[in-house]
Amino acid sequence: MKLLTHNLLSSHVRGVGPRGFPLRLQATEVRINPVEFNPDFVARMIPKVEWAALLEAADTLHLVEVPKGPIEGYEHDEKFLRQMHHVLLEVDVLEGTLQCPESGRLFPINRGIPNMLLSDEETKT
Amino acid sequence: MDHEAAQLEKQHVHDVYESTAPYFSDLQSKAWPRVRQFLQEQKPGSLIADIGCGTGKYLKVNSQVYTLGCDYCGPLVEIARSRGCEVMVCDNLQLPFRDQGLDAIISIGVIHHFSTKQRRIRAIKEMARVLVPGGQLMIYVWAMEQKNRHFEKQDVLVPWNRALCSRLFADSSQPGRKQPCVHPERSQPYHPPCSVCSCSVCFQEQCHSQRSHSLDYEPLMAGMCCADVSKGGEEENGFSNTLGRSFRSWFFSRSLDESTLRKQIERVRPLKNTEGWAQSTISIQPSTHASLDSGPQEPFSTREQNLDEDVFVETSQKQLEWPRAPATMKHLCGDQQGEVRRNGDGNFLEGANTSENDMNAGDVEEGPPSASRILRRISALDSTDSNPEETISVEDQQPHVLDSRAFMRYYHVFREGELYGLLKEHVAELHVLTSGNDHGNWCIIAEKKDNCD
Repeated sequence: MKLLTHNLLSSHVRGVGPRGFPLRLQATEVRINPVEFNPDFVARMIPKVEWAALLEAADTLHLVEVPKGPIEGYEHDEKFLRQMHHVLLEVDVLEGTLQCPESGRLFPINRGIPNMLLSDEETKT
Repeated sequence: MDHEAAQLEKQHVHDVYESTAPYFSDLQSKAWPRVRQFLQEQKPGSLIADIGCGTGKYLKVNSQVYTLGCDYCGPLVEIARSRGCEVMVCDNLQLPFRDQGLDAIISIGVIHHFSTKQRRIRAIKEMARVLVPGGQLMIYVWAMEQKNRHFEKQDVLVPWNRALCSRLFADSSQPGRKQPCVHPERSQPYHPPCSVCSCSVCFQEQCHSQRSHSLDYEPLMAGMCCADVSKGGEEENGFSNTLGRSFRSWFFSRSLDESTLRKQIERVRPLKNTEGWAQSTISIQPSTHASLDSGPQEPFSTREQNLDEDVFVETSQKQLEWPRAPATMKHLCGDQQGEVRRNGDGNFLEGANTSENDMNAGDVEEGPPSASRILRRISALDSTDSNPEETISVEDQQPHVLDSRAFMRYYHVFREGELYGLLKEHVAELHVLTSGNDHGNWCIIAEKKDNCD
């Protein structure tokens, strides 16, 4: 699971609503996957990123060189874009958990795949 | 009702895809050009989700966008992951995304697996919720109106296409075991992202729905079936119960929101020749094995049914023998006393020899005549496949042929205008941009309106 994916995920435990974001990430196995750098692609992602969630996740993973936010003229700042490229697309959580900040419910990540299914009980009205 | 709908979908959508995922072949799943085009037209840098991505055939169509694959079926997601895709397991009805996070979504061959109108609406609304204003949603569903086939009903169970799996079972030859039934069926009617070939797998697989099926899975023969049924019958998810639910699902001609709570249910008559069952390769076992209640058992007879209303063709009506599963009937029907009456409106799985059935062949004769197959495969399997000659060759079916009811997938096929109507009336947050028919599928592209939830 990439951090860009994590940035989109929210808990859908009943009753939690917007307080289900962001999910708290814990990782036991992380891999760095080289991905071809596409500056235009990364630049377009920047406005869509929820920064607080990204920084929280990057911090959990002890990543370094993570920009704290978009900087002026970021579209043309290769260093910035490469750092963002790395954080968003190259860090891959293989094993870990995603925790709902409101309910505490844990969603597992196995073999890089988050399982966001709720049990029958949890989805009952 | 929603629980029953979920149960039907579990049995005839999720369990089927999960069981058959290992046998999936990407060769079998077409990537619809119009879907590819939709994806390629998205702006570079878009965040896109394929809800119901299956093995991920659309996930790498456009390298300039970020595409997330989501599917309920773990095994299929694993396959997509192994191909290098970014994927997750989740439920269309409860998408784990924050509001307004995605620029586009595709839903190709998914909504038609939801068994009630409410659930279909919920699925669409969920996708609308996670779209940004101005974001687009493309939906493909199987059309009821087909060029080469005719669906009698909108709610159907479609057998598995085994053609691709036969090689997997070709060498099963344990002593005392019958040949696996290699029973080629017509190619899949629709090529949803998760489309998989059918397997001549014993229906017994259904009773292990909680387990994932590994590639070590072996085809199960009738003998095995017998053995396992007796064990299975005692469990909540035992074979007989599972079977019962499937039986139940056969008997409803409409989607669950219309018929479930009706009293009109199938009558199931007692099994006449259990020995025949045991010897046959019909995978359904007599419920004498099971720990069901001990009322008289009745085989399911479709003789008196509306013969012109069914998708499936019955081979030997007199000899239809179905174990009764009163527990499960009760489960579905509420006040079931262990008997189900026929749905007078016709059931989507009633036996019928329709002239529209362009399937091959006559009856499949099992060993003992009384144990002949209950239903043959249905004609209306192929919506999009343009190979009319791909029909089930029933003549290949030998006594050990496995019941094609194994891995029946549930579909609600859509009438023209139905999908459009659904959005127009129930999903105000979406504005329909285009709608049309593509290879036997109704497709729609809609846009999330501004200032919506």
